[in-house]
Amino acid sequence: MIIHWMYCYKTGIAQIDDVTGGFEAGTNVLILAPPMSYADQLAYALAKPLEGEYAIVLSTNERAAEVVDAFKAAGADKRFTGVIDAITKSSTTGIMDTQRMMFVSSPTDLTGIGIKFSNMIETIFEGNFAEGETGLFPPPIRFCVNSISTLLMYRRLEVLYQFLHVLTAKLKKIEGAGIYLLNSESFDEKTLSLIKQLMNCVIEVKIEQNASYLRIQGIRGVSGEWLKFAVVKGKVTILT
Amino acid sequence: MISTGVLGLDEMLGRGIPRGSRVLYSMEPGVDGQLFMLSSLSCALAQGLSCLVILPNTTVDAFRNDAAKMYGAQMDLVSGPVVFMDAIDRERIQKTSRSEEAREREWQARIRKICRDHSVDVIFAYFDLLYEDFGLEKAIHLLESAREDAKTTLILEHLNLEGATLLERFTREFSFDLIIAIRASFRPIPQFNYFTLVHTSWSTVAPRSVPFIIREGRIIPYIPRIVVTGPAHAGKSTFVAQASDDVQSVDRRSPEGEPTTVAMDFGWLRWKDFDITLYGTPGHTRFDPLLPPYLRHAIGVVLVIDATKPDTFPRAKYLIDMAVKRRIPYVIAANKNDLPRVIQPREIRTALGIRDDITVFPVSATRRSDVHFVLESLVDSITQFSY
Repeated sequence: MIIHWMYCYKTGIAQIDDVTGGFEAGTNVLILAPPMSYADQLAYALAKPLEGEYAIVLSTNERAAEVVDAFKAAGADKRFTGVIDAITKSSTTGIMDTQRMMFVSSPTDLTGIGIKFSNMIETIFEGNFAEGETGLFPPPIRFCVNSISTLLMYRRLEVLYQFLHVLTAKLKKIEGAGIYLLNSESFDEKTLSLIKQLMNCVIEVKIEQNASYLRIQGIRGVSGEWLKFAVVKGKVTILT
Repeated sequence: MISTGVLGLDEMLGRGIPRGSRVLYSMEPGVDGQLFMLSSLSCALAQGLSCLVILPNTTVDAFRNDAAKMYGAQMDLVSGPVVFMDAIDRERIQKTSRSEEAREREWQARIRKICRDHSVDVIFAYFDLLYEDFGLEKAIHLLESAREDAKTTLILEHLNLEGATLLERFTREFSFDLIIAIRASFRPIPQFNYFTLVHTSWSTVAPRSVPFIIREGRIIPYIPRIVVTGPAHAGKSTFVAQASDDVQSVDRRSPEGEPTTVAMDFGWLRWKDFDITLYGTPGHTRFDPLLPPYLRHAIGVVLVIDATKPDTFPRAKYLIDMAVKRRIPYVIAANKNDLPRVIQPREIRTALGIRDDITVFPVSATRRSDVHFVLESLVDSITQFSY
């Protein structure tokens, strides 16, 4: 009998890791957060590659260099971090792709985003992404979209839903983990519920009296209560 | 005719795209197929045709840079006869026109003016955002109505998130002349890319798919495996060696002192813009367990027989039946045709029990021209085969 061993992506949140060992391979997580709630730090903390892992960030609101800096500050090894940058090219049209930094003309360019995503995944699977690779197969890949909100500003909901449907399905196939950030206050209920349909897990974030709270939904065995948290140097700490 | 820039594809289409056609390159998400549109644009420019390129999702500068990176410097997007409408034009239209109808009118007026002023022969449009802004019917109508001259060719690239349903609409509802879907096998990473000729209005060819690779800014149709099989000493190794630009063979001396293949022959050749790899199988029965894995991913089969030895035909029949069972296109090379006492093709056909539409080629595997003639016929069979 062949037993298929599923990789688990550690989150650094004891309430998840102690129960399930982390996000199961193939999990897609939506972080639903209001503006200025430091949800991007939470997303990066969950998306940063641990030892033996890779991260790919689709950046719709920060330049690739800024994303890499943020990951570095969060303690990630930048050699294992790739960025698909949808910002820089509109001002620096001649910018060239590298193995770990690829550029598309704008967040409207879903064709380009899809191609760069495939190219980066292929490079990782072929073992050509970075030196010092551990050789785990399939390679554990964390994928982060640092804002679906930006994509929704440029493309219609139905189109984006179809596009994200393809992306989340591919991520399941490669046994990766997806982290998607969405502003909870800028879109109507229909939009939120449609995007949620693509996810296995939703982490809601709220701010109360200058403190950040998160609530985890969709992971069996993990309670859905609000937890006060802080992100310090790329680590999520649950405050009691 | 306008060349697609892919010779193999042009041949399948009958020398390219007829002027005045309406063409769709449908891209599956994540498939690196942008070169199809760029190749067609490059060929149109090289033919001296006046082109309008509509790029609502990027700027002209970014497009020129991307095109130069992907296609190389040979495409002249600066001084060539080309006019652009880009993301900045879209933004202006959106800002200045308040209603959807007004925006539609503005797009139409601008495209029509460019077509008239520059006697545009071909409109290349990146369709996604037009579709999104106006819906399918209106977006197609917008481009169509701007084409005052019926000879103006319309070529669209579109990220198809709706799959076969959308292709069906382009074929039936909007009567597009050529629809090519650019796809990938994804298990779990892109295994290989391929294009499918979904529909052509000017020929009756059946839908067909051909894998492709991208090398040095060119799309190269790729036939990853043609198996050359046949009874022992029929001339398979000679066939592979003569066909190939590069060849590897694993031969040993047989007890009779002749070289015999004990593992496989491997050959590679570029033929009419196709990249082809040939796998020559050993002919001895003791190697038969190797045949099913060889044939599993084969795209075509050449059966090489010794036309002077009818006693080997039952063995040849056994081998070709394996290809027939797997529905792999095949041809027969009746080798040693330059020797005395050769069996005629009609008798070979009867002995092997093959269909009338399968050609038996009397050849000498020592002659490169003979061997290439057989391969040409097989490539035609592969690209015209209804899978």
